[in-house]
Amino acid sequence: MPGPPARLPPDHLPPDHPADLTRKAVRAMSPPATATAMTAPTAQPARRARGAAGDALFRAAALFAALFVLISLSAAALSMLYGGLPALMKFGLGFLYHVAWNPVRQDFGAAVPIYGTLLSSALAMLIAVPVSFGIAIFLTEVSPRRLRGPIAAAIELLAGIPSIIYGMWGLFVFVPYMSDHIEPWLTDHLGDLPLLGALFQGPPLGIGMLTAGIILGVMIIPFISSVMRDVFALVPPSLREAAFALGATRWEVVSGVVLPYTRTAVVGGIFLGLGRALGETMAVTFVLGNAHELSASLLMPGNSIAAAIANEFTEADSDIYLSSLIALGFLLFVVTFIVLAAAKIMLLRLARNEGN
Amino acid sequence: MMLGIATETATAATLTDAVPARISMRDLEFFYGANRALKGINLDLPERQITGMIGPSGCGKSTLLRVLNRMYDLYPGQRATGQVWMDGVNILDDGIELNYLRSRVGMVFQKPTPFAMSIYNNIAFGVRLHESLGKAAMDERVEWSLTRAALWDEAKDRLNSSALGLSGGQQQRLCIARTIAVRPEVILFDEPTSALDPISTLKIEELLDELKKDFTIAIVTHNMQQAARCADQVAFFYLGELVEVGAAAQIFTAPTQKRTQEYITGRFG
Amino acid sequence: MARTLRSRRRQFTNIAALGASTLATVFGLFWLVWILLTTVINGYQALNLKLITQMTPPPGSDGGLLNAIAGSGIMIAVAVLLGAPIGIMAGTHLAEFGKKNALAELIRFVNDILLSAPSIVIGLFVYELVVRQSGHFSGWAGAVSLGFILLPVVVRTTDETMRLVPTQLREAALALGAPKWKMTLSVLYPAARTGILTGLLLGVARISGETAPLLFTALNNQYWSADLAEPMANIPVVIFQFALAPYDAWHALAWAGALLMTMFVLIVSVGARFLLRERNG
Repeated sequence: MPGPPARLPPDHLPPDHPADLTRKAVRAMSPPATATAMTAPTAQPARRARGAAGDALFRAAALFAALFVLISLSAAALSMLYGGLPALMKFGLGFLYHVAWNPVRQDFGAAVPIYGTLLSSALAMLIAVPVSFGIAIFLTEVSPRRLRGPIAAAIELLAGIPSIIYGMWGLFVFVPYMSDHIEPWLTDHLGDLPLLGALFQGPPLGIGMLTAGIILGVMIIPFISSVMRDVFALVPPSLREAAFALGATRWEVVSGVVLPYTRTAVVGGIFLGLGRALGETMAVTFVLGNAHELSASLLMPGNSIAAAIANEFTEADSDIYLSSLIALGFLLFVVTFIVLAAAKIMLLRLARNEGN
Repeated sequence: MMLGIATETATAATLTDAVPARISMRDLEFFYGANRALKGINLDLPERQITGMIGPSGCGKSTLLRVLNRMYDLYPGQRATGQVWMDGVNILDDGIELNYLRSRVGMVFQKPTPFAMSIYNNIAFGVRLHESLGKAAMDERVEWSLTRAALWDEAKDRLNSSALGLSGGQQQRLCIARTIAVRPEVILFDEPTSALDPISTLKIEELLDELKKDFTIAIVTHNMQQAARCADQVAFFYLGELVEVGAAAQIFTAPTQKRTQEYITGRFG
Repeated sequence: MARTLRSRRRQFTNIAALGASTLATVFGLFWLVWILLTTVINGYQALNLKLITQMTPPPGSDGGLLNAIAGSGIMIAVAVLLGAPIGIMAGTHLAEFGKKNALAELIRFVNDILLSAPSIVIGLFVYELVVRQSGHFSGWAGAVSLGFILLPVVVRTTDETMRLVPTQLREAALALGAPKWKMTLSVLYPAARTGILTGLLLGVARISGETAPLLFTALNNQYWSADLAEPMANIPVVIFQFALAPYDAWHALAWAGALLMTMFVLIVSVGARFLLRERNG
């Protein structure tokens, strides 16, 4: 009976005591492979050690993966700063407000794309914010219960359509419609107004700021409306009932109680949409016209940061040209980062209040 | 049916009081889908008196309260049949304008429900729905209602700070102030003190006594002592039926029904 | 009297506002229908067998999308192979090891920003990281940039679903003496399987339609190539180039590609949501 003394007290290590130190030592000395080959009395601590080693390894791998997310964001920012540095050094702060964009003379300023990004996003928000608000109200207050799911899903499909489809559809379908119907009407009816008229002058090309703004607006509707709908649903039913009990109509409950309660998160949702609009590329690249000129009219072609990069990056034939485009990307990254971070902070605030 | 007769008798007893009824329920039934939660209720709320509604959980007393301001209309699948008379109008009729009804029949909830705005605006919110008052008149109304709700002294220096900063008891008194600011005729209290400490509870009970000079009050409570302290008339519900109703003193000292007796002596519930 | 007038006005405002909200919803759905309908009609007319048997044509002539379909498929698959393990591990860290500590909160925050960050910026980043270093455009660069876009989607869904796994399940496994890594692999992952899969599918749907990050990473390739070290054809960039070119045959191919891509993206994302609903019962 050379059988191992299986029922012996399991190990020579104190089972709990300053176990961690000891186990670490054991782990360091005996690699798992040898440990398993050992005889029974030591089998137990070896197994435990392997478990601990596995845990440490697994934990380290998970931590590394998580840090990778952090690192990739910083690396993205730094690499673009690095790539854009030559242009930023050469043009200095003037890069931000310089209007010229001339590859031949190698003279680059970002004013036109910045203006275009801001203007097209502003137009998009003008459309998307009220529409999203309406959709959120419809889905929480008006729609019959059984239709809510399907309609919400349909609206979210808008977010599922790839942005290049918006662009292509915009170019082939929406641009002709704009130039044949909407833009001539706008020029006829609004073009002669004092001040505002300047916005609607020019040939009805279809391509331009207005078209890009409308398409962008439609694209970000699902993002804003789903945030609004989610936060409206967080309003405690007792609060809504209390307002109804005072004799408020449905609309008065929404505008007087639901909206104040969710105000911060609603603004957060709007910022989230703004972040999307600022960085959207393919949809606007098709319909913006890639013109490096400033014009007051919404009907004239323009450019945006993202569209300029998409259109010109593979054609950039000099280092400073490429660097200027990357500097544009860096700018876009910084701005969207700030907008999205603000959105996130505002959304977290409501969640935290909920938690309390 | 025994029950029917018992209820008839009990109701008749209160009607013999000289006090006119502000609200009269006749054959009131209530359904959650197919489930009948209130069965043939006949009950009067006497003018400027406090009616306490007691009974074990799920007996229908809160449901009854939510019929009186048609709160149940917010939820599909809930409906009431029978009649609830107020000023010669059956408030269960389809044509009833709910916002107006709710401005006349106010409600205070179990948990305080301050809106995410200033103390002042919490009060003004309800008033603005129904009246357009100038600044001075609104100030006056806010002060009046906060005074009536015994909150003025504590709140007068912080009218513009958020109502969420008030304590639980203060929040509940704010909700009472908000309700009376609309100047309803009837106020429904749905277990208004169940989330409060004893001292806040006492304040609100004193307040009820004060408020009944101007308002007809119905209060649902789990707390029998509270009903005994505050109510003029007490109604005992069990499994969706009104078992017995009468003067508070009579219900608590000489109940006519066996189940009432069992409940108030703590045999069940 | 004044009261009824006032209340009539309030009722009117109420109905007008709720009516406007209904119109807003119709407005949203109108665009969905318009865009999908045009894509389906134009794409359907361009559908034929050559799409999956022939390569993308030279200017002005007929052809198919075979190399682009294959290229997209390869790059998406590689992106999943790169992004999914890192994403799942990172999600595991957040849900199991990080929980509520400051680093985990920071990573969640950054991850959510990456989730909405402009994809063209990711393209520029990978251009700097891979293309400039290696000296040429390549399928690898395309796959890496798609992987970076997939990553945050997987991280977030993994984190969320793993946190939903009941604590008792963890404790039951640990009480049996299982080490934490084994408990995670054999108890948590199976329990969170549907959620993680949903995240992967949503991620695949997202990257299948991405164009901007491929423009200056994978570029395009007119010919058949399964070599990830070479520039690689892909559906989105083909659509981009063909739609902007002046040839009708190319436009038809662009529409066909658009239809195939949209259907794929929508079916995958609807399927993912369906999975999620199944799980939630």
